[in-house]
Amino acid sequence: SFSQTVTITGKRMALYDIFNSISKQTGYEFVFDEKLLQNAGPVDINMKSAPLQQVLDKCLSNKPLSYNIIDKIIVISPKAAIKETSVAAEKPAATIQGTVTDSAGHALPNVSVQVKGTTRGALTDEKGHFSLQAESNEVLVFSYLGFQTKEITVGSNTNLSVTLLSSDQQLGTVVVTALGIKRSEKSITYATQQVSGVELTKAKDPNLINTLNGKVAGMSISPSSSGVGGSAKVILRGNKSGLGSNQALYVIDGVPMNNSLTSQPNSSYGGSGAYDGGDPISNLNPDDIESISVLKGASAAALYGSQGANGVILITTKGGKAGRTQVNFSSGLTLSQIAYKPKFQNSYGQTGGTGSNPQSWGDKISGGSADNLSSYFRTGTNLTNSISLSGGSEKMQTYFSYANTSANGIQPKNKLSRNNLNFKETGHFLNDKLTAEADVNYITQTIDNTPLSGFYFNPLTGLYLFPRGANLAQYKDKFEVMNPARRLMVQNWPFNEDVQQNPWWIVNRNPNSLERNRLLLNASLKYEVASWLNIQARGSIDRINDVYEQKIYAGTIATLAPANGVYVYSNTTTNQQYGDLLANFNIPVNEDIRITGILGGSVRDVITNGEKFNSGQEGLNIANKFLIQNFTSFNPLNSGTLQENHSQFQSVFGSANISYKDWVYLDLTARNDWSSNLAFTPSGSYFYPSVGLNLILSQMAKLPEAISFAKVRGSYAQVGNSPLAYQANPAQYTFSAGGTFSQSTAVPFTDLKPEKTTSLEFGTEWRFFNNRLSVDATYYKTNTKNQTLQIAASNATYYDSYFINAGNIQNQGVEAIVRYDVLSDTKLKWNTGLNFSTNQNRIKELAPGINSFTLSGASGSNYVSKFAVGGSFGDIYGSVLQRDEQGRIKIDADGKPIRQSGDLVFVGNANTKWQLGWNNNLSFKDFTLSFLIDGKFGGKVMSITQSMMDQYGVSEESGAARDAGGVKVNGVDPSGNAVTTVDAQKWYTTIGGREAASGEYMYNATTVRLREVALGYTVPVKNTFVKALRLSLTGRNLLYFYKKAPFDPELTMSTANGMSGVDIFMPPATRSYGLTLNATF
Amino acid sequence: CTKNFERYNTDNTGVTDDDLKADFKDLGTFLTRAQRSVINFSGGGDPNSYQLQQNLNADCYSGYFMSPNPFNGGQNNLSYFMMTGWNGETFKVGYLNIMASVNKLRVNGVDTAYPAVWAVAQILQVAGMSRVTDTYGPIPYSQAGSGKTGIAYDSQQDVYNRFFLELDSATTALRSFIGGSETLPFTFSTFDLVYNGDFTKWLQFANSLRLRLAMHLVKRDPATAQLQAEKALNPSEGGVITTNAGNMAVKVSGAGFSNPLVFIAKNWADIRIGASIQCYMTGYADPRIGRYFDKSTDESFPAQYKGIRIGSISGGSKDDYVGYSSLNYTDGNPAFSLTSPVQIMTAAEVYFLRAEAAVRNWANAGATAQSLYEQGINTSMEQWNVSVGSYVSDATSKPDAYTDPKNSANDAPAPSAITIKWDDAADINVKMERIITQKWIAMFPEGMEAWTEFRRTGYPKLFPVVNNNSGGLISTEVQIRRLPFPQNEYNTNAAEVNKAVQLLGNADNGGTRVWWDKAD
Repeated sequence: SFSQTVTITGKRMALYDIFNSISKQTGYEFVFDEKLLQNAGPVDINMKSAPLQQVLDKCLSNKPLSYNIIDKIIVISPKAAIKETSVAAEKPAATIQGTVTDSAGHALPNVSVQVKGTTRGALTDEKGHFSLQAESNEVLVFSYLGFQTKEITVGSNTNLSVTLLSSDQQLGTVVVTALGIKRSEKSITYATQQVSGVELTKAKDPNLINTLNGKVAGMSISPSSSGVGGSAKVILRGNKSGLGSNQALYVIDGVPMNNSLTSQPNSSYGGSGAYDGGDPISNLNPDDIESISVLKGASAAALYGSQGANGVILITTKGGKAGRTQVNFSSGLTLSQIAYKPKFQNSYGQTGGTGSNPQSWGDKISGGSADNLSSYFRTGTNLTNSISLSGGSEKMQTYFSYANTSANGIQPKNKLSRNNLNFKETGHFLNDKLTAEADVNYITQTIDNTPLSGFYFNPLTGLYLFPRGANLAQYKDKFEVMNPARRLMVQNWPFNEDVQQNPWWIVNRNPNSLERNRLLLNASLKYEVASWLNIQARGSIDRINDVYEQKIYAGTIATLAPANGVYVYSNTTTNQQYGDLLANFNIPVNEDIRITGILGGSVRDVITNGEKFNSGQEGLNIANKFLIQNFTSFNPLNSGTLQENHSQFQSVFGSANISYKDWVYLDLTARNDWSSNLAFTPSGSYFYPSVGLNLILSQMAKLPEAISFAKVRGSYAQVGNSPLAYQANPAQYTFSAGGTFSQSTAVPFTDLKPEKTTSLEFGTEWRFFNNRLSVDATYYKTNTKNQTLQIAASNATYYDSYFINAGNIQNQGVEAIVRYDVLSDTKLKWNTGLNFSTNQNRIKELAPGINSFTLSGASGSNYVSKFAVGGSFGDIYGSVLQRDEQGRIKIDADGKPIRQSGDLVFVGNANTKWQLGWNNNLSFKDFTLSFLIDGKFGGKVMSITQSMMDQYGVSEESGAARDAGGVKVNGVDPSGNAVTTVDAQKWYTTIGGREAASGEYMYNATTVRLREVALGYTVPVKNTFVKALRLSLTGRNLLYFYKKAPFDPELTMSTANGMSGVDIFMPPATRSYGLTLNATF
Repeated sequence: CTKNFERYNTDNTGVTDDDLKADFKDLGTFLTRAQRSVINFSGGGDPNSYQLQQNLNADCYSGYFMSPNPFNGGQNNLSYFMMTGWNGETFKVGYLNIMASVNKLRVNGVDTAYPAVWAVAQILQVAGMSRVTDTYGPIPYSQAGSGKTGIAYDSQQDVYNRFFLELDSATTALRSFIGGSETLPFTFSTFDLVYNGDFTKWLQFANSLRLRLAMHLVKRDPATAQLQAEKALNPSEGGVITTNAGNMAVKVSGAGFSNPLVFIAKNWADIRIGASIQCYMTGYADPRIGRYFDKSTDESFPAQYKGIRIGSISGGSKDDYVGYSSLNYTDGNPAFSLTSPVQIMTAAEVYFLRAEAAVRNWANAGATAQSLYEQGINTSMEQWNVSVGSYVSDATSKPDAYTDPKNSANDAPAPSAITIKWDDAADINVKMERIITQKWIAMFPEGMEAWTEFRRTGYPKLFPVVNNNSGGLISTEVQIRRLPFPQNEYNTNAAEVNKAVQLLGNADNGGTRVWWDKAD
């Protein structure tokens, strides 16, 4: 499938020079082990305008070398020895047989097996088998593109079973870069990290991105607390934007994915509008993914424009392969349980013994240790079955897959079911000059009863706060009772508080559901105009339709619903259309210099349509009839046509990659975006450039033997970020209750400018001892300026807020990856890797006269997330106790601590200071074992759950304090006497609660855990029908080596910018165990 | 090609000035919004705004109400722990809802095209913003809306002077319209949620409002007080409200709107009757009591009229006190429902204001103090549709002592020994106590004006807070005098609010008196 021609003439030319010349003429890159070439000897050649394949055949014809062309990469590997003629063996060599598989147990065909120091060798067949002659003291070298080279001393074993580990660090690895272009890794001028599809399917999670947690340096993943199918917050190299998105961009096969979020809670109350229906990445079938590469910095993303400012996660999906048909079947079951429980006291009962007081400050009780949590939480299950078929001829390749996911969350009635259907077809036409590809994905997903975090509609408030010693079982058995006066069933719960209801009432009688239908279509046409130019056109449509419903039955607490109940319905469709046109060129300037590059343009258009209906406090005519026509009246504040949020981005871009002798690589990119969100502003478009430079030290100079590879790189980039729709042109009025209109309270922002992130990074890569040890380190610094900030205005201006462009948010940090093959020549093989990253975020400036900006506030919980000059993203402000000059807590005459009134004060920052992941892969015969330990160090988080449990007297601390006769404090009374003990009830009812002295509820966020363990066994099958069979046992989040907070600090209530580092009755994190079967036919 | 970008970047759910031109909605929208915002229910739906605008401060500080909800563990404004997040809503509503709406009418040319309608807007602005200055003291007024930042405050004296000038302009315009033959091209009653398009009644309200504001100044600036009061009562000005038909009460109509006080009492159960008004009304066996309050529903003691002491909820559960007497929306013949008009000023109040003018021997009071006092009581009884019986001649009934059936620590002796029957021989203090006490009972449930009058006169005598969590900033006996300036002003308008503290003359806290609260 290539037709370039090459002209080379010369006598006794070194292969190395020939390859260089071919490379320059064609743009193809060579991947080889230089030692092979040194032994290969010179070549006489005389080819004029000959096809590439013919040239390669010719110059390798008498050499012990073969080649393999994958995309634009030519891999040179040792050829299987045909005859043992050249070397007369003194001792007869034994016939060594064996099988080569990857770590998932798939047979690897075409692996080169070479006897070290000889020309003898073989290639594995379809089933991964090989056979060759070797002596017991000889060493076999196994090499294969994309896998780590392995050396094995033959020994007495004549039947070898060899597992090759995939490698994203090997010399010559191909990396998928911006716009789907594959490049050899050594030419990249910025930090990337590639993860194979295997990592995603090893221990599956309903949201595949969670399986990357801890595996990529500089990537922070916070799963949302919203049960199965919930979204995850993925941040690369720190938060950059106050109002805009900070999430990484997902790109599937070169096309940016629509990553619109479903609504996220932005207040401590949560409530029915704050459901999390999962992000678009969570919908994908992990089995369809070939590999993921993470482009961390802005340089990498320069070609994706504003969307890529926060880094890019490139996903390459599987396709059919010529000449091979394969059926893969995979089935996995995962069981999950809560990983920890809040700690309760069991010694003191309900205040007043019985009745409607919901607190537990009563008398001593015995037998209060009923395990209420176990009566509620259940074992979650996740059953995934997937099948894929792939195959094809040289002209046509087909890939088909279907997956079904059926998961039950740890909370009753929380359920996800998903179907993924994928069909991909690739065809080659017109003498293989034209390649057409189309990919259709259809996804249906239903999530029932997404747990809602916060105080409202959250079963956990009632569950946790339930008086100790009282009988909860009666409310589980009978969550509703007949109200004869109304002739309907109403809630059975003894307490009248907005923050709690009967947990089983909530799951049964306040149910929510989200149904998603998603169609993702991609098509591309690529035409090779000339040997140095091809033109590609791509288009994609990603259409996501969400229907959300919540049915709130009569009998629900009055604060949340009027007497007859509430019906909430919304139907939204987000449609993203993307198209681009690219010209890929490749110009050999002379022997040493080559220029490749792209010129292109793209259009992306995103529009949301839909409507919402919420009967709200106006209520329903007939109780419990959940229909829109049953609304008593229509309130435009709750119901109506949704904002379209129509945004269109038009771009032109270009890149040039100039290389000199495989020593020096220079990347230049430029892009200009026109954004509809900038309409009505003076700056309709924005331009941003990037430049990167790469030096391969190991090619420039002769380095000591121990150093196999050395590279230094540096890059500088600027990326613009478009403001949100309508910021420059907010509606003058919006519909309000009863046919009235409310006036916009934001001053129109007519001088709005796009946000700009400037990024600088330096990195270096070193490999030692024949690539056995590798080190990759990067320093980066990004500054995000022209932030669009919504600044509170004095109301006396007649506005609530206005927008400004200002600020400078700086992120700087270091990422390092170290890998080492500890054992590779023995039967037991072990490789280990460390990922380290640290990020420091600083808000350097905002605007003159403005030194703080509120991201998300929660009136009523004394928590606010703020931007302040000198502070950093994620700073938490809370309320604290009054202290005297000596730091002693002031205690009032009544014996209670005194809280400080006035504005909230800084109490901590939730961001992790540094992270370390330690990944290990071991294999022994047919067994493989991998485990990942990761730690996130530093940061502080707040637990409002704990403050509520303290106030209600149910927490272990509140019981222990009573046992000890009070809370030990360093306090002072109004007359200046020292106070050492405060009555437990007075202390906790003053500092605790939903409007707590929240500064008292900050916890160290450092967490070290055994994140993932996977044990695999490849069943040795001797069967022509089943080609490979593999079983694996996995566990996730198995053990916390260190965790001081009362919850898992990694969880987040919201995957948007706010509510980070605060726990308001989030469900506990889960621990899961899985069994997976993979079979290839 | 970016020719569609402006269309894409236009909110399809928005409404523009052009859209509002049809049917004079560019007039009606803003005028009705201002009417619904003096006591704010303009947002429809949940009355969160009203709860902080007035209910959890003035309504409780006036002795009318108390919340059974232990907000913030009982450490909140009701025990003088001033919650930062609770102190800005009164301010916010004043500017975003009232002044911004009135300003919009000016921008739309209503002031020149329809001066009578503009007069109504000005009256609403004075009615609304007087509550804002009475809450905080100095406020931005003359410079409001003049820029994005740095909006200067005016002293309270300057603000009041402006109010009187604005009322001058409004009443002049109204008298001219009423006496003239000009007609409006639209049906004004469509936009009038108070007087059904009757400009004469708006004129009477304007004069009554002038009388009310004048009386606020009597302690600090008696000359201006007398001048403005006599002007308000001068028949040539068009008269004041004399009958219940002239009461200023904003109708609750239209889907999504409800009386916010009733909503909070009924739907949220966040507000209950205060101990002070309960003790006065049970002590006097006031015939209005069964209309105002329902009986307690707490199972631990017999059903009775039982209020809650302010500042007595210090933690525990909302259920502890939620069964005490509520605003009456259920019992017998309830006076309140979710569609009850929102009452701002009544004829009864005007009679009591005139009685005070008569006691002070000011001109134009129109009758003797006694007859105005009794007419005030009678008009209120008529308003609530109860028989007055021998109430006005009751010379023995006195307010009750307070007992809390659940916690005797909250018990308190009767706040006052004042009786009902007028005694012309009594000294001015007794007369004032009688007038203000009866005015207070008649004005229920409008807590903002009741708190202002309590601060001005010291009457009625109210129970002090049980728990004072102000850290010594607010005296339990003197009681709270104002709300601190909103935190948002310190964040956004710091230089100016700091100057305002200078104008205030003392620290920015609840213990500092506003200008009219200090005898010169």
